[in-house]
Amino acid sequence: MKKSLNMAESDHLAQIIIGCKKGDAGSFSRLVDIYAKRCYGYFYRLSGSRDVSDDLLSELFVKLVEKISSYKGGCFESWLFTTATNVFRDHLRAKQRQERLLNAEKRQLESKATEAKQRSNERIDKLQEQLGKLDADTRELIMLRFYSQASFREIAAMRFEPIGTTLSKAHRGLKKLRELMEQ
Amino acid sequence: MNGRNEENLKEQFEQDVLEGERILREHSAPEPDKQLISNIKNEIARAILRKKARRTYYEAAVAAAAVILLAAVSVKLFERNAGKPERLVTASIIPDAIWESESIAADDENIATLTAEIEEVESEILAVKSGGNGGNGLTDVEKLEMELVEINSSFWEG
Repeated sequence: MKKSLNMAESDHLAQIIIGCKKGDAGSFSRLVDIYAKRCYGYFYRLSGSRDVSDDLLSELFVKLVEKISSYKGGCFESWLFTTATNVFRDHLRAKQRQERLLNAEKRQLESKATEAKQRSNERIDKLQEQLGKLDADTRELIMLRFYSQASFREIAAMRFEPIGTTLSKAHRGLKKLRELMEQ
Repeated sequence: MNGRNEENLKEQFEQDVLEGERILREHSAPEPDKQLISNIKNEIARAILRKKARRTYYEAAVAAAAVILLAAVSVKLFERNAGKPERLVTASIIPDAIWESESIAADDENIATLTAEIEEVESEILAVKSGGNGGNGLTDVEKLEMELVEINSSFWEG
């Protein structure tokens, strides 16, 4: 799964990052071309919504303009997907706050309307449906592994947890996902 | 035996992970629209401009603050120097000309003349007190005082 960058790719990426740090729009544009697809897939598999994924992808790359100077080397994918995870978690927190503000009746109406809209606009694939049956933390871990293409060791470091915990959660999650998909 | 079990578990783990990831590859997620990518690139360009403008403002503010600070410090120093007396002002009997003079020899001569004059005045006072200037033993000052007393009493008598 882990796709290591070769020397030329690594140098190319390093040049792009240097350009980004200097505030070069062309370098940011190339960064978007390289990572937009993977980051979009990550957001989509976590949120299950194209609209939310559109917003989060924009937010992520605009945030990179401010945050790129804080990247001090190491695996760029790990850094990028840590930022993406934070963007998604911020979105979840904002959503929870918004939900708390709405009264029960309003929430019920909105929920029905959103569901109806989603049904008409999007065909949720089987994988997305089964992913929804996993707990949020396991889902995030599996998606982080798949889309960041980082090693389990790097993912454990990103999540500030022991490697054994990460391996165990990923194993259980992927096994359960396979069982759900085979049903 | 333990080593074999561990090897089996490792194999099982790898197989489950590979199988799970195969499922994820087979069900690819939708891709972002070209329009979305284009919008993001435009938004990034705007964000870069905002960041550069902010940095320029910040640098200008820092430069202005430095100039203001420098001016404030200069004014303070100027005020301190202006308030300070240029030299010590005393009720000295030594004339200003001597303080301001740069010729030590001339000053010494002036001081010697001044000292001689002071000594002369002192000896004259002593002579007046002792009647050395032709008086009758009472000092001229005492005589003067007695005359004043007489004038004073005759004035009241009419």
